[in-house]
Amino acid sequence: MSEAEAESPFEGEKAPASPRADLVTAAVLFALGAAIVQQSFAMPRFVEQSGTGLTAPGIVPGFYGVVIALLSLLLGLRAIGRGGWAARGEASTRGDGRRLATAAALGVLYAGVLVGRLPFWLASALFVAAFTTAFEWDQGPGGRVRRIVEAAAIGLATGIAVMLVFERLFLLRLP
Amino acid sequence: MTDPFTMLVGGFAHVLGGGAIWHALWAVLVGIVIGALPGLTATMGVALLTTLTFGMGPNVAMLVLVCVYVGAIYGGSRSAILLNIPGTPASAASTLDGFPLARQGLAGRAMGISTSGSWLGTLFGTAILALFAPSFGEFALQFGSYEMAWVALFGIVIAGSLSGGDALKGYIAGFLGLFVATIGQEANHAYARFAYGSADLAGGLGLLPVLVGVFGVAEVLSAMSGPAVKAVASKIDSVIPRLADVTQYWKTILRSGALGTFIGAMPGLGEDIAAWTSYAAAKRASKEKEKFGRGSIEGLMAAETGESACVPGAIIPVLTLAVPGSAPAAVLMAAMMIHGLNPGPMLAITTPEFIYQIVAMLIVADMVKMFYGLVLVRPLLWILLIPRERLMPIVFVLCTVGSFAITSRLFDIWVMLGAGLVGFVLRQLRFPMAPLVLGIVLGDLLDKNLLRGLVLSGGDVTPFFTRPISMGLCALTLLAALWSVPSFAMLFRRRRVAP
Repeated sequence: MSEAEAESPFEGEKAPASPRADLVTAAVLFALGAAIVQQSFAMPRFVEQSGTGLTAPGIVPGFYGVVIALLSLLLGLRAIGRGGWAARGEASTRGDGRRLATAAALGVLYAGVLVGRLPFWLASALFVAAFTTAFEWDQGPGGRVRRIVEAAAIGLATGIAVMLVFERLFLLRLP
Repeated sequence: MTDPFTMLVGGFAHVLGGGAIWHALWAVLVGIVIGALPGLTATMGVALLTTLTFGMGPNVAMLVLVCVYVGAIYGGSRSAILLNIPGTPASAASTLDGFPLARQGLAGRAMGISTSGSWLGTLFGTAILALFAPSFGEFALQFGSYEMAWVALFGIVIAGSLSGGDALKGYIAGFLGLFVATIGQEANHAYARFAYGSADLAGGLGLLPVLVGVFGVAEVLSAMSGPAVKAVASKIDSVIPRLADVTQYWKTILRSGALGTFIGAMPGLGEDIAAWTSYAAAKRASKEKEKFGRGSIEGLMAAETGESACVPGAIIPVLTLAVPGSAPAAVLMAAMMIHGLNPGPMLAITTPEFIYQIVAMLIVADMVKMFYGLVLVRPLLWILLIPRERLMPIVFVLCTVGSFAITSRLFDIWVMLGAGLVGFVLRQLRFPMAPLVLGIVLGDLLDKNLLRGLVLSGGDVTPFFTRPISMGLCALTLLAALWSVPSFAMLFRRRRVAP
């Protein structure tokens, strides 16, 4: 196992999160764990029905909440031990924030707003065309019109194909 | 009870009848393409295809999903060899020797090795499944609530310990998954936990929308935020597997097959761990250690055999304990439940023939995979070069359809979005996803059995520790947890080295 672990490119080993990020994560998770425990404790116990209260709905999530809080405490302590308290916040070097924000915004706009309001094939066609155009925009003005036309064609083809395959062939309901 | 051979023949008759072979042909092809495309994983493939199988009978649906699973794990090696990019995490080990072989002008031979290794690996794992799953299923009938609670907890702990490098984050991910599974009405009093008056939340978070979000949406976001993948053109020689490559490394194949199947059967570890462990074991035992990483045929064979043997291995605990051995197997298990099949210990009593039908499905999928391995090289090269800007929005559309189709609730699309964003953030913070998925899948099992055990014992927790099988499972869970403590693992290794 040691050789496998040493060479494997698992995400956790490739580039560990910074101690500062771990510390912030631990604080958020600790708060979540504590909130789960509090909410679980506030749930009804149903002692009259069960006689013992052992079927109380809060027992299991409360247990998970305690474990999450304890483990995040350990994560926080480990992060402090690694200098998370002293370290200054580092700008993430992984990925591109603008690209991520664009992808997330278009995804939320499509799935959260367009779907259900427009016919599904049209919403999908617009989304695919907009997504492709937005991410191919940086390739420069040369051939941009051609790329936009291609993106629109791919969008339309996707919308129609998804409708035909899912609704007609596999008889599924679309949003 | 009918004898195993008759049931196996019955399984083949069942699988091959009524045009099912057509489904196997397209499903393996879809699986290979999904696996080969960087950014699309086997888990995502099985989750998305689950949607398409709603209208099918349970057996055809299972055949389709098993074929996608088998095809996707194999397909990942195409891009690993030709582009130096693992199509699925499982194929990461294949890049080490597959790509150097391709650079030496031996891409075809590397793909032949991948095909033969993968084919033999799945066959080996399937044989183990056929031999041991029925008897293990019968043994699992002795498991009561106490034992099943430990099985679920063991799954979370072992997946947390081994699946992502950082065990602490693995455990947190696992318990977050378990917590997510508690949202909605519980079984004893129909009390809606964490619903806050919302009828949608009271219905619980659907397993499939969450999985599609964690693996599909998060994958799209990761792919789009990362650097662009640059394709490397490779010359392709003959892809026909050579018998000499198999006969020369038969020991490696057997070792990797056994390791891959064993790791597959351990809850939540999956194909990537199987491939790396097989690769490391082959390197340790090899007489040509210096070739590893520079185009070793043995190394590629080990990785491919290990990851493909893991597929049937991961299905063993699904069928016998209702505990998935890997993330794609977790989705497969969810699909079984959706189709009214009840995986778990009772399967050996209620529908023992189903185990042999799965065996037949795996063998059919393996044969079709071999066929495509021989003929589907050049068209796949073309597919591999589709830019992510054009592929990822289509994947997102499919994720949306997949989340909605199961219950036709727009709420499920929001669940997918939420799970995708949370999954993406957790990935960026280096939390492994396998324990999270396992937690979501095993949440119900642990919840019900923990409470049932407490009720049965009148609040006494000692049966959880004193019943023989419980005691063994408890010891295994503790060992798995201790193993992740570096000083304990070091101590164990030192003792093992010392005579």
